[in-house]
Amino acid sequence: MSAACLVSLRFADGVEQRVDVAAGHGVLEAALAAGAPVLNQCRSGSCGSCMARLVGGDARMRPGVASSLLPSEQAQGQRLLCLTEAVSDCAFEFAYDSRAGAGGPAKASAFIDTIERIAPDAVRLKLELAEGDWIDFRPGQFVELTVPGTDARRRYSMASSPAALPVIELLVRLLPGGVMSDYLRDRARVDDVIALTGPYGGFFLRDKVKAPHIMIAGGTGLAPMMSMLDAIRARPGARPNVLLSFGCATPEGLFNLDELDLRSHWMPGLATRISVDSGAAGAAWRIGNPVAAITADDARDPASVAYLCGPPGMVRAAREHLEGLGLDPANIHAEQFVASE
Amino acid sequence: MNEAVPPQRRKSRGRLNTISGTRTNDQKTQSQYQPYKDAAWGFINHWYPALFSHEMPEDHVEGIQICGIPIVLRRVDGRIHALKDQCVHRGVRLSAKPMCFNKQTISCWYHGFTYDLQTGGLTTIVGNPDDKLIGTTGITTYPVQEIAGMIFVFVREDAFPDEDVPPLAEDLPVRFPQNSERFPHPLWPPGPGLLDENAMVLGMHRTGDCNWRIACENGFDNAHILVHQDNTIVQAMNWVLPLGIRPASDDCITLIEDENGPKGLMQWLFTDRWEPVLENKELGAKVEGLNGRFYRTSVVLPGVLMVENWPEEHIVQYEWYVPITDDTYEYWEVLVKVCPTEEERQKFKYRYERVFKPLCLHGFNDCDLYAREAMHEFYADGTGWDDEQLVATDVSPITWRKVASRYNRGIAPPGKGVDGATKSSSIRLRRIAAGDAPGYLVKKIED
Repeated sequence: MSAACLVSLRFADGVEQRVDVAAGHGVLEAALAAGAPVLNQCRSGSCGSCMARLVGGDARMRPGVASSLLPSEQAQGQRLLCLTEAVSDCAFEFAYDSRAGAGGPAKASAFIDTIERIAPDAVRLKLELAEGDWIDFRPGQFVELTVPGTDARRRYSMASSPAALPVIELLVRLLPGGVMSDYLRDRARVDDVIALTGPYGGFFLRDKVKAPHIMIAGGTGLAPMMSMLDAIRARPGARPNVLLSFGCATPEGLFNLDELDLRSHWMPGLATRISVDSGAAGAAWRIGNPVAAITADDARDPASVAYLCGPPGMVRAAREHLEGLGLDPANIHAEQFVASE
Repeated sequence: MNEAVPPQRRKSRGRLNTISGTRTNDQKTQSQYQPYKDAAWGFINHWYPALFSHEMPEDHVEGIQICGIPIVLRRVDGRIHALKDQCVHRGVRLSAKPMCFNKQTISCWYHGFTYDLQTGGLTTIVGNPDDKLIGTTGITTYPVQEIAGMIFVFVREDAFPDEDVPPLAEDLPVRFPQNSERFPHPLWPPGPGLLDENAMVLGMHRTGDCNWRIACENGFDNAHILVHQDNTIVQAMNWVLPLGIRPASDDCITLIEDENGPKGLMQWLFTDRWEPVLENKELGAKVEGLNGRFYRTSVVLPGVLMVENWPEEHIVQYEWYVPITDDTYEYWEVLVKVCPTEEERQKFKYRYERVFKPLCLHGFNDCDLYAREAMHEFYADGTGWDDEQLVATDVSPITWRKVASRYNRGIAPPGKGVDGATKSSSIRLRRIAAGDAPGYLVKKIED
């Protein structure tokens, strides 16, 4: 019956692009075919990279397909464009500018510089991009690595800032029987070559925001926060205050505390709060979870922005908690990671 | 990525630090001041002195370089304008051959690209007034403040927003008597400051050939008093200097870190927190009849030294070590005195010309200048920062490095496309061969 719907894509820098989307076709697919700079990665409703907000008209997520979008997010108009079909002419707004998705992911090879066990279940992996290779990224974004000797791919957020390129630092959580974990534990050697692609993800530090930043990180979800902290430190102009709440399951599982101490020294506006779920009390941490560590007092400024990264349960709880404290849902940016074997 | 060619390691590799944990400045301490170690080209987004007011008469155009950024200054109707001295077209320095058609603009003398003095916007091109580029681009402007005969410029990154520019007072030393309770000075009257009413500034600036950090650390390094023993001013005034000054307690230095104020450190000299060393038995060296000159040194970002009660009462000496490149700095030494009457101004000027300039700014400070240059090669390739063996008296530079790492507003990237970015450019070599050392002011084209 009906011909195509006219879909308007509006980026944060004012750039607007209109694409025709045939009935029954995905918005993302049509947008990419028309060359629109929409961030995306998995194209299957899980990674959240292609999220946009419906601001006019009608568009629905494909029914019966599992997605990582929360019902509350959908109610606020959020859509994952890879699973979204236009019902009428409609308009979407993106939280990032049109340059963010331009160019798309690149392929690169990288050499392992160091492999450092920083906790019983965490490894700091430092890579150096090979001669002639380059991957630009925004602090908070991730890359996809092919585990050497396998076809398996794994995604990790950069813990280093773009200023550190060609060196890339990743924080890898070791899982029993995990493909990457086994590689790092058993076979990885300095100077090994790893193939990677990227950058991916709509979870990245927004420019020019002066309101207080609240960061909540669980486990290796600390990685994108480290990248963002280093980028904020180098930002020209007034820098926002940052409150970073970082939690692990046990005191033994904590890592990067020296690195956080250094950032605290370098950044007068940074406060850190370290939590462990259980275990012995210590001078440097409290017993509890990193979400509850954020109190109403921390969110007094209603313009505060938040960055969340950790397991899905933590991200969900953190979002609810912060919305309850009065943060604008549009100012809460989140990345959740799912363990894969 | 080409499948046929195996990935290659990058050709230039980072250097690995190997630092002994037993040093005063061990690995952990050094990490705390890593940003300072990275600041070879200076701290950007700070206020720096650019020129004396008398160097910029009405309608004069001059070019300077600070933190690797070329800056052109022009005075119009009394007001100084400062813009990036690099045409967007082909990178020519506007100041090399000043061309100004009116009071609102400055033009590039090569192809006529013309910029608005207030906004830096490209308003026209002399011989190409309809070009599409006009109105779409421009050069960065730098906020200017002129005070007590000195022109200060806020040297910033292109993206630094106007509304975030702090007042000049945040980059100047603490003032007295406002801070007399906090930093008591029973041995001398409250010193004057640049921002005081009727402050008179006399001094000079010249180019030094070393990294700005080496120069800056010399000013408040209490262990270097040894180099000044034989200076004429010291002998003429019968001052007796100790062999050295040692920290005697852990509160010998107080950090200055007020919100919306200067950031740096104050040293409690001539209190029991610092101990003069009068004898070295091993060497049979002994100082008798100590007739010290009471003074006190402090330093604030971006590297401003204040010597209170120096060289005599009611006078303060300020110094700046303005980075030009990573191996040259503009050394500013000025004396400040409050002189409400013309008679006092004349008296200060006379004493400056006859005593202070030859014996202090030259005599005494010349000694510092060559001492800094003597350290430069050790630090020039970066290894000195790892290899230096600091001792207890170096608490002053170490504290400065940490506080500067915490409160700087940005680390200047290495200069690109500017004088000194390429050390062996042919023009540089030609000028050196002609006896014209690398310096601070633009070399103007003569025709």
